[in-house]
Amino acid sequence: MNGHVPFGVADYFWDEASRRQGLLDQLMETFRGWGYGDVIPPMFEFDSTLSAQYDDRLRSGMYRFLDRDGSTLSLRPEFTTPVARLVGARLHDWPMPQRFCYGGSVFRYLEPQAGRQREFWQAGGELFGAPDPAADAEILALTATALKVAGLTQFRQIVGHIRYYRSLLEALMLDPQQTQQLQWALERKSEPLLEEFLRDTPLRTGQRQAVETLPQLVGENVDAILSLAERHIQNRGMHESLQNLRGIVDALIGYDIHDSFVIDLTEIRNLGYYTGVSFEAVTPGLGTAVASGGRYDDLVGRFGPPQPAVGVALGVDRLLVARQRQDGQDAGAGQHRIQPALALPQGSPDALARVQRLRQAGMHIQVDVNSWPVDAAFAYAAETDVRDVLVWDDGFQHHRRDERGDYVLLGPLEEGCLAVGTEMFGEELSK
Amino acid sequence: MTQATVAPIRGQARTDERSQPSVADRRNKQSLLFALPKGRLAQDSLSFLERAGLSIPTDTESRKLILPAADGSIGFVMAKPRDVPTYVEHGAADLGICGLDVVRETDRAVYEPLLLPFGHCRLSVAGPVEGAAAPRAESPDAADLAVKPASSAQLDGTPLRYMSQPRIATEYPRLTRQFFAERGVNAEIIALGGSVELGPILGLADLIVDVVQTGTTLRMNGLIEIRTILESQAVLIVNRASYQLKAAEINRIIERMRLLTT
Repeated sequence: MNGHVPFGVADYFWDEASRRQGLLDQLMETFRGWGYGDVIPPMFEFDSTLSAQYDDRLRSGMYRFLDRDGSTLSLRPEFTTPVARLVGARLHDWPMPQRFCYGGSVFRYLEPQAGRQREFWQAGGELFGAPDPAADAEILALTATALKVAGLTQFRQIVGHIRYYRSLLEALMLDPQQTQQLQWALERKSEPLLEEFLRDTPLRTGQRQAVETLPQLVGENVDAILSLAERHIQNRGMHESLQNLRGIVDALIGYDIHDSFVIDLTEIRNLGYYTGVSFEAVTPGLGTAVASGGRYDDLVGRFGPPQPAVGVALGVDRLLVARQRQDGQDAGAGQHRIQPALALPQGSPDALARVQRLRQAGMHIQVDVNSWPVDAAFAYAAETDVRDVLVWDDGFQHHRRDERGDYVLLGPLEEGCLAVGTEMFGEELSK
Repeated sequence: MTQATVAPIRGQARTDERSQPSVADRRNKQSLLFALPKGRLAQDSLSFLERAGLSIPTDTESRKLILPAADGSIGFVMAKPRDVPTYVEHGAADLGICGLDVVRETDRAVYEPLLLPFGHCRLSVAGPVEGAAAPRAESPDAADLAVKPASSAQLDGTPLRYMSQPRIATEYPRLTRQFFAERGVNAEIIALGGSVELGPILGLADLIVDVVQTGTTLRMNGLIEIRTILESQAVLIVNRASYQLKAAEINRIIERMRLLTT
């Protein structure tokens, strides 16, 4: 027993643990506020349920193991598929739309990086049974709201549409190798690779122009980009996906999140199950997305009657890193959670009864269970950063630490002098 | 209570806070950070940036970790070439310049908008010259080992797929494995940190995969090129988030560079 943990997992404790849990609670509460109900899918399920829905990259990153009967199981690498399975297989006859939110660990066998171990936390929401742009808009607006709740101020949502790209591919009638070449060029935003594709691939003039225009379909000027794309439509799929994007943009007007909106019709990386709008949220100081989501109208149908669906997942770990980097180095230091007050009952049942009443009023109180003399209690309190010490003497005498670190008697305990459990020092206090 | 959590990335910045702008400062100013490769491409990269009209650091020999441009508009980090894609993928740097060989080998998720007109070389498979006396010819056993059944494949035009599990010394294990796997050959990769030409000489490997500029080093070591895996040159890479978040500044730089590449 060496006490080590495997590579890719971590212990979180003290302030870091409470910040993580606190952020997850805030996000869940935000989702609930928009009518999303909690769902808790299993941590592992049949590999066949999960794997079939993913692209190679994610599939190769799954933790798999054998059940005792020989069936292959996987730890969930995300929540969307388990929730879609639940709705498709069991809740398909409940009135639509259905809204679900979740938060917890997911597992991917990948190189750990900033804000992402092999076990990491996601929080997210899924909206089933609504095909309209209004539903996509709700998810985008909900994402922006959740990012603001998480304390981020300068994020951008990069919005693409996988159907636009897939329809373009249909129109171009490429062979698999040419498709690969185009996809490589777009994924890397590489001008030389795109030129090479255009040089190697015979295309009609209209098709060629549609491909040549692709690099310009990126940016903040949503209306101009959509207008430009509309001039190079090759088939109905491209037309409908642009119409759909316009619909989503219109449906977002009331939500006032346009300043965070960026269109990128060449963004084609995704989990493999998206069918419509897809998006990622990025924020300064973190090279990777803090949230991603999109529409997946074909997923529920693999487990039961088809249902349109759209959703988002936020990376809790990455949000924490992003917030810390945004707020600067000292922000973390300003977020000490107030430690629970230490009460010395001195053997008196009345003292414990009083503690119970204080706890019911929301105070966080730890009780001395070692029958410490007062000096030992002060020493422990000083080392563990406890500000308030209550010593029973026919009523609690309230000692508080002053700036020099000495515990000073304030007198009998008055209601309202102690911190309520969720209070924070410093920065957090003002929020 | 002691401060329990310090983001790991801060560890280094903190040690010399006085001479370096803090992460938060730099981010707040929204200035760009550019990762450049030390070594072979360093001077070419700097002079290319200068020709593109960017302000470059005056003192590149400085031991400071982040070098400000002469006009302070951009910060530069000089990194090991292999680390440039890593810095950029994680967003520690917004942009970077490195060889296409390194970008393909490290396979990081970055944008690579432009190829730059310098650092041309090729990643090649090379083997001992047929019949040339291996430096260890005095020991016939070792010479036999070094050529193995691979010898017939060293002639130009002989398919590599005839080879039986060749041993290949390289600094590019990923690209090498991929190249041979595509030909159905299950190569035994010996990953080295440098001087891979020694591999065949010492009998460590049958072939090598390495970067070739003029071929002089190969010839001096009795090796000839058998195949080209990749034509390489310098490439501009961009962090995926920065590309959107700092679109205006980054596009301005790409525009200027594009003028020099076409």
